[in-house]
Amino acid sequence: MSDVTAPVPEDDLLAAELALGVLAGAERAAALQRAAREASFASAVAAWEERFVPWAAEIAEVSAPPSVWERIVAALPADKQTSGWWQSLAFWRGLSLATGALAAACIGALIYLGNAPQQAPLTAGIDGDGRRHFVATIDTRSSSIAVVPAAYSADATREPELWLIPADGKPRPLGMLRADRAVTIKIPSELAALTVGNAVLAVSLEPPGGSPTGSPTGPVIATGKLTNL
Amino acid sequence: MDLDANRTLIVAALARIPAGDRAALQTVYRLTSAKLFGVCLRILGERSEAEDVLQEVYVTVWRKAADFDAERASPLTWLIAIARNRSIDRLRASKHSRHMAPIEAADDVADSGTMADVALENAQDYARLHGCLDGLEAKERSALRGAFFDGNTYEDLATRMNVPLGTMKSWIRRAMMKLKSCLQQ
Repeated sequence: MSDVTAPVPEDDLLAAELALGVLAGAERAAALQRAAREASFASAVAAWEERFVPWAAEIAEVSAPPSVWERIVAALPADKQTSGWWQSLAFWRGLSLATGALAAACIGALIYLGNAPQQAPLTAGIDGDGRRHFVATIDTRSSSIAVVPAAYSADATREPELWLIPADGKPRPLGMLRADRAVTIKIPSELAALTVGNAVLAVSLEPPGGSPTGSPTGPVIATGKLTNL
Repeated sequence: MDLDANRTLIVAALARIPAGDRAALQTVYRLTSAKLFGVCLRILGERSEAEDVLQEVYVTVWRKAADFDAERASPLTWLIAIARNRSIDRLRASKHSRHMAPIEAADDVADSGTMADVALENAQDYARLHGCLDGLEAKERSALRGAFFDGNTYEDLATRMNVPLGTMKSWIRRAMMKLKSCLQQ
């Protein structure tokens, strides 16, 4: 390669400086404004970004904590979709973080409206460490419990297991939960009568497949009391 | 993660965002956030700030997805540019650079590339850029590295390499023009 390079217009140099990131203060602000206003300058900047970007291959990937995604969802403008939004895990994660009780009520209301049950559903926000980990709704008519993950973030080795703790204080296993989607669990018939208002739901971290003993063996990370809607 | 193989998925998801599709944004986030977080963290050097900026990056992606033109740019170039720009804005706002250790031109033996993610666009582009960087003088290459990876300004680089500001400007400008002409060949 020779040191003799073709003459380059001043604009292209400025585009390169902006793309590389060496400008500061008023110079950077002015260059950013030009990129926003002038298509030809913007494409010169984009061309420089394309030239430099293979370098980013040297930067290692780092997983961001789940709280970042929750904050992104919370920062988005109000939802403008007309259908399907209630199925979105992201939506519930964001909403339940912001307004957990409302989210629980909405899930309950959807089940309520959908099934026209005889009895009002029960709900619980399952919280621990100042965060809402899951939101649970019990449809007493079909004797099933739907649990939606909220701020819960997956543990590397253990899985979340859901427990019912009725008035006698003894935990009964209900089933395994998921960090990435809602699960619906059929409540065993012998527990149905115990699944009432003021009973407590708890989540513990257990080996894959669940506690081998029938009682929680790992830490209980979150609890919540069932209440009638 | 093979980001290049996911390019089609990212482009398709970006195209769905302007209609208000949050699941599409989540797809983009899942496929790209580890890379972009790495970029923010590299420039800002501090986790909580990098998390703040990463949040801003994806909110920007949500707002500006309609501006992305797959015919003209690679989605990763577009996303990485947003991440770098946001990180640099944050760095400039805090009024002090995090990476100010003196740079010796000889430091740049490490340059020949610890490639964390070969698959990022493709290995060929990386090899081509490196071939051209190898054609620069060591001091020019070190200055470019400081700007790209550490988010340094001309002034930061002049301080770190202990040369007058005007000298630094001419090194970088000359280096960039040599790079452009080499990459065109």
